Amino acid sequence: MVFDGSIMADIHPLQVIELGKRFPGKRGLGTVPAVSGVTFRVQQGEIVGFIGHNGAGKTTSIKCILGLLKPSAGSIALWNKKPQDRSVRKRIGYIPENPDYDDTFSPLEYLTMFASMRNLAGNRKSWMSLLERVGLRGWETTCIRQYSKGMKQRMSLALALQSAPDLLVMDEPTGGLDPIARKEFRDIIIEENNRGASVFLSSHILSEVETICHRAVILAGGKLVSEGSMECLLGGKSMYRVVTVSSEERTELTVPEAELQSTIDSLRQKGLPVLKVELALKSLEDVFLSATGGERK
Amino acid sequence: MKAVFTFALMTLRMLFRRRTLWGILLVILLALAGIASVPSFDVSNQGRFVLDFGLFGIELGALLLALGLAASLYPRDRETRTLMPLIAVPLSRGQYLMGRFLGAAIVQAAALIVTCLGLMLILILHGLHIPADLLPATLLILVEGWFLLSTVFFFSFFTSPPLNWPLTTMLFIVSQMSVAEFAGLVPSAPGLMRSLRILLPHADVFHIKDPIAHGFQIEPVYFLIAVFYGVCYSAFMLSLALAVFRSRDLK
Amino acid sequence: MRRNSLFLTVFAVPLLLTSCFTDYDVAEVAPQEFLDSESNSGQTADHSHADGADCEECAEETGHTVDAAMEADQAGGPSGHSHGSAERNHGTQWFFNQPWAAPFIWGKLLRDGIVFLVMAAGIFFATGWRRKK
Repeated sequence: MVFDGSIMADIHPLQVIELGKRFPGKRGLGTVPAVSGVTFRVQQGEIVGFIGHNGAGKTTSIKCILGLLKPSAGSIALWNKKPQDRSVRKRIGYIPENPDYDDTFSPLEYLTMFASMRNLAGNRKSWMSLLERVGLRGWETTCIRQYSKGMKQRMSLALALQSAPDLLVMDEPTGGLDPIARKEFRDIIIEENNRGASVFLSSHILSEVETICHRAVILAGGKLVSEGSMECLLGGKSMYRVVTVSSEERTELTVPEAELQSTIDSLRQKGLPVLKVELALKSLEDVFLSATGGERK
Repeated sequence: MKAVFTFALMTLRMLFRRRTLWGILLVILLALAGIASVPSFDVSNQGRFVLDFGLFGIELGALLLALGLAASLYPRDRETRTLMPLIAVPLSRGQYLMGRFLGAAIVQAAALIVTCLGLMLILILHGLHIPADLLPATLLILVEGWFLLSTVFFFSFFTSPPLNWPLTTMLFIVSQMSVAEFAGLVPSAPGLMRSLRILLPHADVFHIKDPIAHGFQIEPVYFLIAVFYGVCYSAFMLSLALAVFRSRDLK
Repeated sequence: MRRNSLFLTVFAVPLLLTSCFTDYDVAEVAPQEFLDSESNSGQTADHSHADGADCEECAEETGHTVDAAMEADQAGGPSGHSHGSAERNHGTQWFFNQPWAAPFIWGKLLRDGIVFLVMAAGIFFATGWRRKK
């Protein structure tokens, strides 16, 4: 598909149109679609969550965006330029899924060499403080051979942040991390977003996506099944949950806003206590299961 | 270019920190010491024997080094996913290949110079004459080593290390054979064999161990031409390697 | 597919053009004067004669005769007969039939090197262009 510049009057950090990727089939016979007809964009200053079941095509899509895979169809534009463009790659920070590094080096050596390869300004002191920021204080000169999985993920975060990127692309950055580490990652992502960076992250931890993302893109079976802002996806402010006790059992009632007052009055007339009244938002998990039919495609 | 040199330096450090290099170097030096300790039939020919087989040992060492250093570089990077952070952002595929090749080539050069110095030491210890052309001969073997290194990289982009070793070794052996010898392997198809052979490199261009062992003078211009031929063929193999690498998806 | 075939043909042709006519077997491509060269030898390489027969060629060029050789053989040399050292002869032609001793192929080496360099550059730019497309 020819990329039509007229479609995009604005310059977005990432725009994907009708992305398709096919891989060779079993025994080299035919091809199998991994991703087809995926269209979405990441706007300036947004945090977009990319969610889907295992094998939905998230990592394939991300690798197409970064030029690691050649798309079979569609087009990808980063600030209106192709992913192979050198000027564009300098503005991206990338965290791969399950990152690994040459175990004969320390993270400080890695940061120093990457900075040299990318022509970045900085010195030992700045890389040390970056490693401290991602929680690797005291481990800066330790060989990566001695690192745990979580520490390697922290190091990959440091490498991604090194160039103060305009777009952070993260493939399951917090997978396998403990809750404290996940919170630290979330805080850093939000700090970067406040600095002006756009973030595109894929994750299985839906509560995390729900917490920090402005929008979500849901993939199932290689196809886009839902997309929208968090507010739209989670149902807005139209439903309320009323918690009461009936026959010594806790009962929850979900009522529309228009019926809230009458429901409370009715419960009081029956002598039932109203324990809690809260907005009955859907969780992202509910949305995800509903969009995918609860099945892996 | 800065990115290529930095990555070459990274490759160099990595190879020095791994044990493969030291193991290969030890094997070569032990082999040279073994050659020198074998008595020849005629004491006056001891020098020629040591030089001839010593240089042959260095040539085999170049093959071992090329395979040991480079056969598993790219497959290992892919398997351990260290390739992704490199190719996604700081390096293009061409820069990755050139960086890895340069780093491995420098290590190979250092190792071969050490083996040449080892051979000189052996000659001195045995009271034998060191020919003036010994270092230039080692340089030609080094150029042959770079050609083998580029071949190993080419094969590594579409084969596994266990297959890379025999393929590169076969190419090494074939490149030593003359056209007539190679055609003679399959006498029923001389035309095909001949065509095949003339497409493959001619490693006898790099072999000057015979004249050195027998005290012949080699014209300096020949060294330059042989080095030029070797560097150009290596560039050709690297371009083929890059063509394969560029066509591959990094799943 | 047709474009790939054309691509391969374009690059295979120069490779074949150089190597087809550049046979590095010195014995096969050497000019006769190289094989007969006095600077390399005192004798013509690769001739044979039955034992006991006179060899006029040998006798004319060097005064060496089969009889004299047989005498030398009977005198105890294992090789039969001997030649001057560092000389090209039917025993050492393999030694001198190598590129370092054959200046007439050096030009071909240079030409082939340039062809490989040009092809390397062509492949590099062609594959880079295809990737960016």
